[in-house]
Amino acid sequence: MTASAPALKAAREIAAWTNALSLDVHEFAARSAELWSGRPRPLSITRGDIARLEELVGAFLETHDFVVGAGAIFSTEAIRSKDGGLEWWIRRERSIEKLEFDLTPGGERFYDYQNMPFFASASRTGEQTVWGPYVDYLGMDEYILTYSAPIQLEGEFAGVAGCDIRIKKLEEILMPTLRSIPGDAALLNAGGRVVVGNSGAHLVGERVRSTSGGRSLIPIEVPHLGFSLLVSP
Amino acid sequence: MAPTTAFQAHVYRSLPETERSDAIVNRISKAISLGLLKVGERLPSETALSEMFGVAPSTLREALSDLRQQGIVATRRGRSGGTFIVKQPFMSPDATRRWLQETSIAELRDLGDEHAAIAAATVRLACERAESHEVGRLLDLARALVMSDKSEARAHADSRFHIELAVLAQSPRLTNAEIRLQAETVQALWAPLSSTRDPERVAAEHLAVARAIADDAPEEAQRLVLQHIRHDIHHLVDAKLSLGYPTNQEERP
Repeated sequence: MTASAPALKAAREIAAWTNALSLDVHEFAARSAELWSGRPRPLSITRGDIARLEELVGAFLETHDFVVGAGAIFSTEAIRSKDGGLEWWIRRERSIEKLEFDLTPGGERFYDYQNMPFFASASRTGEQTVWGPYVDYLGMDEYILTYSAPIQLEGEFAGVAGCDIRIKKLEEILMPTLRSIPGDAALLNAGGRVVVGNSGAHLVGERVRSTSGGRSLIPIEVPHLGFSLLVSP
Repeated sequence: MAPTTAFQAHVYRSLPETERSDAIVNRISKAISLGLLKVGERLPSETALSEMFGVAPSTLREALSDLRQQGIVATRRGRSGGTFIVKQPFMSPDATRRWLQETSIAELRDLGDEHAAIAAATVRLACERAESHEVGRLLDLARALVMSDKSEARAHADSRFHIELAVLAQSPRLTNAEIRLQAETVQALWAPLSSTRDPERVAAEHLAVARAIADDAPEEAQRLVLQHIRHDIHHLVDAKLSLGYPTNQEERP
């Protein structure tokens, strides 16, 4: 069956919003990369680097009030420190605060970021990626979606820069558009998991395994992210 | 709604500052013993902490001083100073014994009932919602239990597995409930008392649950996890009985 005009319009609106964010994340990753450009490998991450990165993060959070956290993560092969480099900040009421992670393999609270999909996928493909919704209980301790883009230095992958959005916030942002679609509709991630639905029929976090029963999938035209819009007749 | 009776007014009276200080000590100790805050980590500033906990700065300082006296945190001055976590507060065998003696069998059973309710829903949702690569991580966590030979490390591995089930269920609330339940029981489960749990057997039970989730078999996963929790509670009851209720023969002169 063919999708209705309101559904196609909604898909275009969601694509426009997501593309704008994607471009900003890409830009943020490029500016983060500049901090280390021309530096010998393995990279060192100095206090000065972290201070400059914090400024970039502060500016990104300033201009994106729906984003709750942002930062950069380095591949252990790219940096000097064997303990990994996870430089991430979250928004507090009047300031931003750096998060501390356990980066020791085998540690009790080990944050195994190299195996987290938002890192692993960008590392494998060299492209932007999005991961979630997921319960990030070792990191943000929130139900979030993480956007990330690779940090490339001299054409080589060095890590990712990205941002987190609370699912609660994303729901507020996308709901008016989804509600403009008559009938049940939901934004799905690349794995077929509901990100936001416009009714109780599709709840966030659930997986949609088939599109039987006349339901159709409209791709959301954003490169590499794999979002789609599930629409019921 | 304003309290209407004297009883209600008593129940809902504002918390005295001493109870708040104790609550902060308990909250931080539990978070560390569960591995949610780690040794070496710096706590937020005193101002930020008293703001987040919603207590007066003096109350917060009292709590920190208590934690310092217990050797759980240390405060360093200077540019890279602050309050750091320096010790894992694992329940001492004495404290575990006391906890088991004070907790009735009815309360242990009830703890198991709540855990069973949470875990049954959790594994069913995990079957529905987990993706295959996520189950791989669950299997790794299940195996981690036999890698460690210290009771503290086993307790962490055990609780990480159960918390991960709730993460796979995509539910922040079930995750929080599981974290709270783990904080209540996991140290007593692995405490080196008269009878210790066999890590091989517990790991085998965890693996079976993980495989049922991988096979997308919600009925089987639920049956296995309920059986697993029953074993845990049996262990706690046995541990309690071996301490608190001497047999008749022992009591007779």
